[in-house]
Amino acid sequence: MIVTRSWLNEFIDLSSVCDERLYETFNAIGLEVDSMKRIEIDERVVVGEVLSVEKHPDADKLNVCQIDIGAGVRQIVCGASNVVDAKYVAVATIGAVLPENFEIKHAKLRGVESAGMVCASSELGLPDMGKGIMILDESIGELKVGEPIQSYATIADTIIELELTANRGDCLSLFGVARDLSSALNIEMNSFEPKQDDKMKLGIARIAELRSEGSMEANLCYKLATIERLSNLFLVKLRLAMVGVEFNGYLEPLLAYARHTTGVIVRAYDGGIFRNSSEKIAIEAHTCAKGLVEIRGNGTPYGMVGVHQVEVSRVSERSDMILLEASYIAPDTLVEAVSKNRMDPDPLYYQTSRGTNPNLAFGLAYMGELLRRYATFTCYEGELGLIDERKREMIVVDAQEISKIIGMEVELSKIVMILQKLGFEISRMADDNAAVSVPRFRHDICNIQDIAEEIVRIIGINNIPAKALQVDEKPRLNRVTSAYKAKRAFKHRAVGRGFYENLSYLFTDRRLLEKYHFEVVISELDLINPIAEDLNTLRTTLLINLLEAAKRNLNHTIKSIPLFEIGSIFTQNREEKEVLGVVFSGQKEEESLRNAGKPAMIDFATFIERLGGVVGSFDLVACSHQNGLIHPYQSADIVIDGRVCGFLSRLHPTAQEAFGLPVTFIAQISTDALMPTHINATAISKFQSVYKDLSIVLDREVEYREVKSALEALAHPLIQSLYPIDIYHDEALGDQHSLTIRLAIQSMEGTLEESAIESVMEKVMGQLSTKCGAVLR
Amino acid sequence: MKELEEKITQVASLEALERVRIEIFGKKGHLAAQFAKMKEIEPSERKAFAQELNRAKESLQQLFDTHYEHLKAQEIERQLQAERVDLSLYSTLANKGALHPVMETMDKIIDYFIALNFSVETGPMVEDDFHNFEALNLPKYHPARDMQDTFYFKDGGLLRTHTSPVQIRTMLETQPPIRMIAPGSVFRRDFDVTHTPMFHQVEGLVVDRKDRVSFANLKSILIDFLHYMFGEVEVRFRPSFFPFTEPSAEVDISCIFCEGEGCRICSHTGWLEVLGCGIVDPNVFKAVGYEEVSGYAFGLGVERFAMLMHQIPDLRSLFEGDIRLLEQFR
Repeated sequence: MIVTRSWLNEFIDLSSVCDERLYETFNAIGLEVDSMKRIEIDERVVVGEVLSVEKHPDADKLNVCQIDIGAGVRQIVCGASNVVDAKYVAVATIGAVLPENFEIKHAKLRGVESAGMVCASSELGLPDMGKGIMILDESIGELKVGEPIQSYATIADTIIELELTANRGDCLSLFGVARDLSSALNIEMNSFEPKQDDKMKLGIARIAELRSEGSMEANLCYKLATIERLSNLFLVKLRLAMVGVEFNGYLEPLLAYARHTTGVIVRAYDGGIFRNSSEKIAIEAHTCAKGLVEIRGNGTPYGMVGVHQVEVSRVSERSDMILLEASYIAPDTLVEAVSKNRMDPDPLYYQTSRGTNPNLAFGLAYMGELLRRYATFTCYEGELGLIDERKREMIVVDAQEISKIIGMEVELSKIVMILQKLGFEISRMADDNAAVSVPRFRHDICNIQDIAEEIVRIIGINNIPAKALQVDEKPRLNRVTSAYKAKRAFKHRAVGRGFYENLSYLFTDRRLLEKYHFEVVISELDLINPIAEDLNTLRTTLLINLLEAAKRNLNHTIKSIPLFEIGSIFTQNREEKEVLGVVFSGQKEEESLRNAGKPAMIDFATFIERLGGVVGSFDLVACSHQNGLIHPYQSADIVIDGRVCGFLSRLHPTAQEAFGLPVTFIAQISTDALMPTHINATAISKFQSVYKDLSIVLDREVEYREVKSALEALAHPLIQSLYPIDIYHDEALGDQHSLTIRLAIQSMEGTLEESAIESVMEKVMGQLSTKCGAVLR
Repeated sequence: MKELEEKITQVASLEALERVRIEIFGKKGHLAAQFAKMKEIEPSERKAFAQELNRAKESLQQLFDTHYEHLKAQEIERQLQAERVDLSLYSTLANKGALHPVMETMDKIIDYFIALNFSVETGPMVEDDFHNFEALNLPKYHPARDMQDTFYFKDGGLLRTHTSPVQIRTMLETQPPIRMIAPGSVFRRDFDVTHTPMFHQVEGLVVDRKDRVSFANLKSILIDFLHYMFGEVEVRFRPSFFPFTEPSAEVDISCIFCEGEGCRICSHTGWLEVLGCGIVDPNVFKAVGYEEVSGYAFGLGVERFAMLMHQIPDLRSLFEGDIRLLEQFR
């Protein structure tokens, strides 16, 4: 919504309010100022009177004009073709400086002297008003030759663009904005009194009638007029350009101007099309569906209230009779009807869907006033109207309640005063409460908190003291908070281990998921309106996004790329789950002295070590996960607390090539499994433990996992721990290899005798030879 | 005697000193030789001789010890110097990654509210119309729905456009008093220089008995919170409109780049918009079946906070995983 200071002045006297204060007030009452521009035009740009126009002898498109600029007559060459129609124009005289530091100097155009420039609106820093020069008329006031343009307040205006919130349809007009200002600045509104019309013809009812069918939910009001000529529209067009309202067609500038001023939806129809067989202008208002009221003439639809107007019904210079219509329809009813019936509304719907001014008489009277000023016209007396007098919303306003919501004492008298200025009517006053009726243009107000908002706006939030809330405390450390803290802890561990946190969209490319055999959200549950082709579905893994991030980093010549991300992924049935994704690509560390600038590539052992530093200890078992990123021989399921909770793998060479990455490892683990668990301590022996190494030879096919589980199955009370420390193979061993295991042997009861240790080792060897076919090396 | 003293003090290395020790104090050393003379001395003078000799031995021993300490210290110093490394070569070896600045900012925000005993709550990203709109006083066809361009699924589900549905879920699952924040990602169908289809919000909600929670309380916590985040900035409240709060306000801080003078970042207004807030609309309470309560709610965009606090110029760069950006936050 754009307003100008001089336009607002029609309704509220702002002469004592400077631009600065106006800016602050607008912001304080919730009409946020997007921009504020003051038009300033050099004093040497003056009103000039065109005395004569002759064709330039050597240039078809140029005219040589003699123009009186007050200080004398100047010869000025002008390129605009419309100068031939002009009487009064804006002349930039010699020395004037126009926007972008353009200084006017004596010039010779194709051999003809030119002492100044006839200006178009945009050349003066005014909004563009179309082709050609700006032709002035008396609509801006008496035109005195030589008078600086800057002295006309309607041109040297301040243009203020307000950003309105969706509930403030009532401020989509100059009048509505002025009403808000009136309350905030405590300045009375000027009352609008249309001049008594002396051009009345006979009463409207003699030649026109209005009939309605169905239960009407719209208000309608009509006037009839004949218009011969429009003139002196400069101010109307200038202001419409300032506020960015476009118009197209005869009478449209005045209609648009009336709408922007009053907030009432005013339209004009060619009256002739409503003339019926008995020569009467017969308007039919037909309710087609709830909220949809069609305007018909002789059964033909010409418009829909609040939605659109049929093109053929618009007025033109040829229209002998003009039917002016003011309408109102409650926005909630309208919006629902338009959506349900899939209507295609015109631009005025922006206003009607947010609520327009229901004061139809005001809209028509203002339109009448515009016609009186800018047209030669005659008007039929009276109006035809259909008013749906729905009961107005009544709210009991309790001063105590308002004060409690705001947190500050506000007296009833103050509340009442504010509400009255905003157009509310007080129907009953008691000691500490008042019953108020809500004006129809404030359809957004329906309860005491809405009233509180009005009071807060006008007294100013910045005048409300800040007060700490008094609460009855109870602890609020819930499961989600604890989980958040745990996640934060392992994020910090990841950072400590050199990983960078990645953040990617919840979306990914369905084709990529399919290419790498990940599940995809089933089509019936997928997005209707993705934002881009490569973000067209919900991700079912974090790894694709992480690999793409790795690739981007590689393109930035980063050689060691350790990334992690915690985020939601979805199953094919669109169930959400949270996982930790890890990608480590390229060199295992940064280039430095330590590695002579040639660090090794990431390898399985390093990746597991880094990952373990983040998620804690885990076991690896044969990989049960299947997707196109997994390397079949360097991959494993991750087992934490006996539960498979994810997988890790070297990136499959095919995928590695497709992403253009160097050696890369990946992992994805459910974050649930990473939550801290309860741990009980086991007793620690007071006696020394003995470390024994056992080297065995066994088939290379036999995995260490089998060795380990065979020994665990022994459940020998003296074996505290065991782990592999060496693996060796040479040609002499053929299909076998040598494995060295270190055992920690310890008793809770006493220091172990050599014989006891030997007995343990014998049992171990026995088990390994039966279960794994191993022999002592 | 003098001769022996000089022998000790002239020695310059520990090895040489060891040789001197043997020469003087050893079994076949000077002192042993002197003591051996004892039996040739008259018994009457023997005592005096022995005393004299012991004194001499003691003083030599002392001299020796002192000189030994001195040489030892010299040797350690030499060794230390030999082990000297050029530390400046190693200062870049720190092997640490970095949290994402958006997440780190979110953590900082959450810290504040946890310290004030707010609980942290979460909810699903795929929401339904009721939790995301209807219960938040955004009925179908409401023009305010234009403000948010929503991702929809074929079955009628949608991606939450704000974290407010978590408020609805929490209110439905628990009973007042409530003090909660809901941090998380939200989604709007918008992709340009200043919009990404996913971003992060932290929302807060306080619900208590009727007449207890006021706009003044809301002001108090938000002013304090913004000081915690941005230091001693000025805080300004402007009335605004959100369907789920009434009265509603937008909150600005004085521009932290130009200190209110007006610059490109604050569009020459001197103010930066950082928060939306308000008193919970009675229709929201009605939707969750709460009666006789009052409450406030607020919400903020984490990316905006992170960009302001760390002077990150490009929003979209936050979703690129670019290590060149991330490593600056090590």
